Amino acid sequence: MSNKLIHGWDKLQARSSIMLLIVAAVIVEVMGAVQYIFARDGIRQEVKQRARTEIRMRNLEIHNVISNVEVAVNNMQWLIDWAAANPDSIYSTLQLIIHNNPIITGCAMAFEPNYFPEHGEWYEPFAGRSNGLTGDIVRRQIGSANHNYHNATWYREALTSDGGQWTEPYLDDAGSKMMVSSYTMPIHDSEGKVIGVFCSDVSLEWLADLFGSQSGAYTFLTSRSGRLLACPDKSQVMKTTIQEAAKQFNDTMIDVVNANMLAGDSGDAEIKDNNGNKNYIYYSPVEGNTGWSMAVIFPDKEIYAGLHRVGTYLTIFMILGMLLMAYIMWRTFRGHQRLQAVSAEKERIGSELRIASAIQMGMLPKTFPPYPDLDELAMYGALVPAKEVGGDLYDFYVRDRKLFFCVGDVSGKGVPASLVMAVTRSLFRTVSTHTESPEQLMMQMNNAMSEMNESSMFVTLFIGVLDLRTGNLAYSNAGHCPPLVIHNQTVTPIEMDANIPVGLMSDWQYNRQDIHINPGSNIFVYTDGLTEAENGEHGQYGEERMNSTLAQVGNLAPRELIAAMSDSVHAFVAGAEQSDDLTMLDIQFIKTIED
Amino acid sequence: MNTTIKEQNGELVTYFEGRLDTAAAPQAEKDIQPLLASNGKNIVLDCNALEYISSSGLRLFLTVLKSAKSKGGHVFITGMNNDIRNVFSMTGFTNLFEFR
Repeated sequence: MSNKLIHGWDKLQARSSIMLLIVAAVIVEVMGAVQYIFARDGIRQEVKQRARTEIRMRNLEIHNVISNVEVAVNNMQWLIDWAAANPDSIYSTLQLIIHNNPIITGCAMAFEPNYFPEHGEWYEPFAGRSNGLTGDIVRRQIGSANHNYHNATWYREALTSDGGQWTEPYLDDAGSKMMVSSYTMPIHDSEGKVIGVFCSDVSLEWLADLFGSQSGAYTFLTSRSGRLLACPDKSQVMKTTIQEAAKQFNDTMIDVVNANMLAGDSGDAEIKDNNGNKNYIYYSPVEGNTGWSMAVIFPDKEIYAGLHRVGTYLTIFMILGMLLMAYIMWRTFRGHQRLQAVSAEKERIGSELRIASAIQMGMLPKTFPPYPDLDELAMYGALVPAKEVGGDLYDFYVRDRKLFFCVGDVSGKGVPASLVMAVTRSLFRTVSTHTESPEQLMMQMNNAMSEMNESSMFVTLFIGVLDLRTGNLAYSNAGHCPPLVIHNQTVTPIEMDANIPVGLMSDWQYNRQDIHINPGSNIFVYTDGLTEAENGEHGQYGEERMNSTLAQVGNLAPRELIAAMSDSVHAFVAGAEQSDDLTMLDIQFIKTIED
Repeated sequence: MNTTIKEQNGELVTYFEGRLDTAAAPQAEKDIQPLLASNGKNIVLDCNALEYISSSGLRLFLTVLKSAKSKGGHVFITGMNNDIRNVFSMTGFTNLFEFR
């Protein structure tokens, strides 16, 4: 890969990483948004539900108290009418009512002008607790010119009504000092004519507890006229009306809500405060005829506080996750760059090795048949290195009707072995020009190689000189495995003296041996890469297998013989990695040369 | 492939265990460094548990031999199986080493 290409690939890689990051961010973002919307929707539904529950719960409580009073007073209608007909019993009757109804702080009977002439124009006997809900019951007549009740709204309305009425709540300055609402009822004489109004004051202090402050919501109660009867901020109670409160808001929606509340309707709305924050409001009238209305407000800020908190956490996590992802990508990218650098280096070494391999293979005879004009001789050689380059070698040439040949195996394999192989092969060619005797050849090669051998590399080498006129094979062996002579399907190893490999010790005396080769025989020379070819289970091809295979294919021409041997080895190793260089050289001595 | 060196009776006895092939040779070469660093002590290469030796293994033995000889020591080989004995005799290594 060229640098330009690598650079282009890097850019592509970086760009796709960034794209991936952006896509991931968008996906996470969209997922977050969808989740947020759904959660928001769910919370809104939840809030609406809660608003109705809050209101219903208060409605029940208020209605419970109110109706208790109504029922109690209505049930005493006969007693009040009776007391009006028996004026001496009025105070004791009022006292009795208070005594039996703890929530009633005081009650009075207000009569029409001069109904009892002896009591004048204003007559209103009253009984009440001296100190709000507790204390002794006191009695007095409260009608006077200063307290001219005849023109009071509550009195006028009660007179004309045919049942109980609740007055607008008020602060009872005179008596209990509490917020009260009065339940009024007309008093009749024995003929059924209305002669006055019975009025019982009911403390509304308990409302404060019902509308105390609570988290996330704001509830309040208004009277018929819109006055605040209860809300979490007690300082506002009885001081403000919702109409006044609405003036502080720009959102006109609040006026609609107020109108609906005053009209006794129920409903919900969204109101913006002046800062633009939304609030959800639900309002509903109090059951009964008090004319009261209740509302509960949920500020969005409070409703969604949890959601926003979760959203914030999620966003933080997302950002951290993205950063982590970016970091991992960056690391991966860097790692990839380093890997590319390494593989570029490997590529370079690989290409050098391929060149070295080509050079090495170029040193071997590669034209087969090598001597097409020689009818007496057929040859084929094959060398398969375990790596790109190897330490095996073979060589041959014909001079003076003699075939000089050698097969060698350098200890080890790979590049170091290949260098020794090249030296060995060159020495064979150089030295053999001066001598015809294999032992002299061997000794000269050994001396040359021992002198320069610092790393104890050595070569097992077989050198043979076959006289094509006589069939005599003179040979010298330096630790190489014995070649085989194949004749009439009989495989015989050539006898060997034990000589140390070439390159170990200068001046080693290698000896010469001779053997007669019959015409029609094959000389098969190989390296131990053949016999020690291993399959996956460390089983070796072995001499026996080699010998029996050679016996079967011995009558083939050299090229076919070696091909058959290769097939046999391949079948044996069954795809296991080749562990050593493998060389085979087959020389078929067809007949002697006639002079 | 395991290589263990023990000092016994003033000799460095090296036990080879397994297959000393080309793949195992680099590690074995590291393992025998103490032998090369020793000064003139006799060295015994115990091959009782050695299953196989390749030419790389032979080279290793030879390195030990050269180093020991240069310092006046001897190298003895003991306990070779038949396969290894054949390799030694074929390569002429029997001519170089002393055997026990």
